[in-house]
Amino acid sequence: MTETIGLWVAALFTIGIYSFLYKENPLYRLAEHLVIGVSLGYNIAITYTNVIQPKLLDPISSGEQGAWLLLVPAILGLLYITRFFPGVGWLSRYPMAFLMGAGMGVGFPLSMKAQVLRQLEASLIPLYETGMAWDVVIGNVVMVLGTLAALIYFFFSKPHKGLFFGTGSKIGIWVIMIGFGATFGFTVMGRISLLIGRIQFLLGDWLHIIE
Amino acid sequence: MNIWEKMLNVDRRWIFLLIGIACVVPFFNPLGLPILPSAEVMGIYDHIEGLGPDNAIIVSFDFEPGTAAENQPMSVAALRHAFARNIPVYVTSYWPLGQAMAAMAISELTDESLEDYFKYVEWEDWASIRDQGIVDRAGIEEAWTAEGNTLPENARGWVFEGRDIAFLGYLPYFHLVILGMTSSIASQFPTDVSGTPLEEMPIYQDHKSLRDIDLAVTSAGGSACVSWITYGREKIGLPIAFGVTAVMATDYYIFIQSGQIVGQMGGLRGAAEYEVLLKENGYNKGYGKAFIGMDVQNIAHLLIIFLVVLGNIAFFAGGFHKKTKLKGRR
Repeated sequence: MTETIGLWVAALFTIGIYSFLYKENPLYRLAEHLVIGVSLGYNIAITYTNVIQPKLLDPISSGEQGAWLLLVPAILGLLYITRFFPGVGWLSRYPMAFLMGAGMGVGFPLSMKAQVLRQLEASLIPLYETGMAWDVVIGNVVMVLGTLAALIYFFFSKPHKGLFFGTGSKIGIWVIMIGFGATFGFTVMGRISLLIGRIQFLLGDWLHIIE
Repeated sequence: MNIWEKMLNVDRRWIFLLIGIACVVPFFNPLGLPILPSAEVMGIYDHIEGLGPDNAIIVSFDFEPGTAAENQPMSVAALRHAFARNIPVYVTSYWPLGQAMAAMAISELTDESLEDYFKYVEWEDWASIRDQGIVDRAGIEEAWTAEGNTLPENARGWVFEGRDIAFLGYLPYFHLVILGMTSSIASQFPTDVSGTPLEEMPIYQDHKSLRDIDLAVTSAGGSACVSWITYGREKIGLPIAFGVTAVMATDYYIFIQSGQIVGQMGGLRGAAEYEVLLKENGYNKGYGKAFIGMDVQNIAHLLIIFLVVLGNIAFFAGGFHKKTKLKGRR
């Protein structure tokens, strides 16, 4: 019974959201507001169940050894709430500063390695080697020249004129446009996929007229 | 207003209606167009195919319902592959709602009303076998069937909670959770979502940290997958596979080029390719939702291409490329 009610609620709100395609209406607005409210409510509940209770309240209430140390991050976290009180709002900067500092310290070296150094390494490849298949050679040439051309396009300290900067930046524009085209194609596919997912739900799970 | 101008000023709601029809009709008249698996999807499949009951993987539901149409089928496909090969799986989530999506995926694969489902054996139900000290997968199944349990006809296999799967769920600041799991999974998830202590689970005995994990499949609707690369791959060399939405796919091909991931499923198409591989290799009798959806997708794409071409014909035939703006509503 609860599953049936859930299906009907989901179906009606799906239709409500898609009704926006015709024009904005109260059902759409209701669905839009509810999705934000319900998501937030769910997030709070699951954060309490998965984090606050087992990792903070339970250890402190059971008197676990060293559990009092948990009060330090708990108090630091509570300082966020001081933003709502103008007189002591400045205290909320401390947890933010802690998070930013710790986040930078932890993330920066590994992010540099994962997203910059590894990518640089991957673009420093031989264009041709003995025994290399011709399609791999073409792929390597396109990749290396394309990367260089796109970088030249974003080099603004020199006018984009002449063989190196002029032609290079023009090729760079083409490379970037091809990239945008591929992304746009994938985006169309993605949006249609989401529609298909909802139609599968409406026709299958709700109305049972398709498998 | 001439015909070309009328065409360019058509009410966009007619286009929405046409796309809607194009996305409904093929469900009733499927074309069954072939889907050929790409190298990047086969990379993931081959990697999992090389694993067995002594290995372990993570399937992370790093998306929310907004992208479930794309991410859910690829997560289900990866889980099915692991269950069918008795590979232990840790299930995690980067986002709160991802935990609910993971629960839905497990329910789908263990739904007794469906063909080819996996019979779920709850933690308490096989306590007697654990008490006997049996820990290896084959031994557990042998002891379980010796107790008089028979696999239903329409089931593909057993899934023992705590041995074949540990549903860990969601934790906030998940990138730091990944970092923590490189030292110990139990330090981040002392229990699974049901409250069962991880350290008591057979899956945990040989797979205590990400260093003991052979693949992390992250099905992501946002940048969560990069955290797996940054904190898993680059710190300890954890093999990573991406399942990403189509919108994100082009951004993440670079990680294939650099060899940082074993493969990538891009959008519904990537999920459909994985479903084809599962069907062709006998892991599933039928296709999943993604494969059926791709048939519809093909028709919708043809319609969009037709409309783009038609719009361009109207634009150039009407001479609008020489004018600064169109008449009418635009």
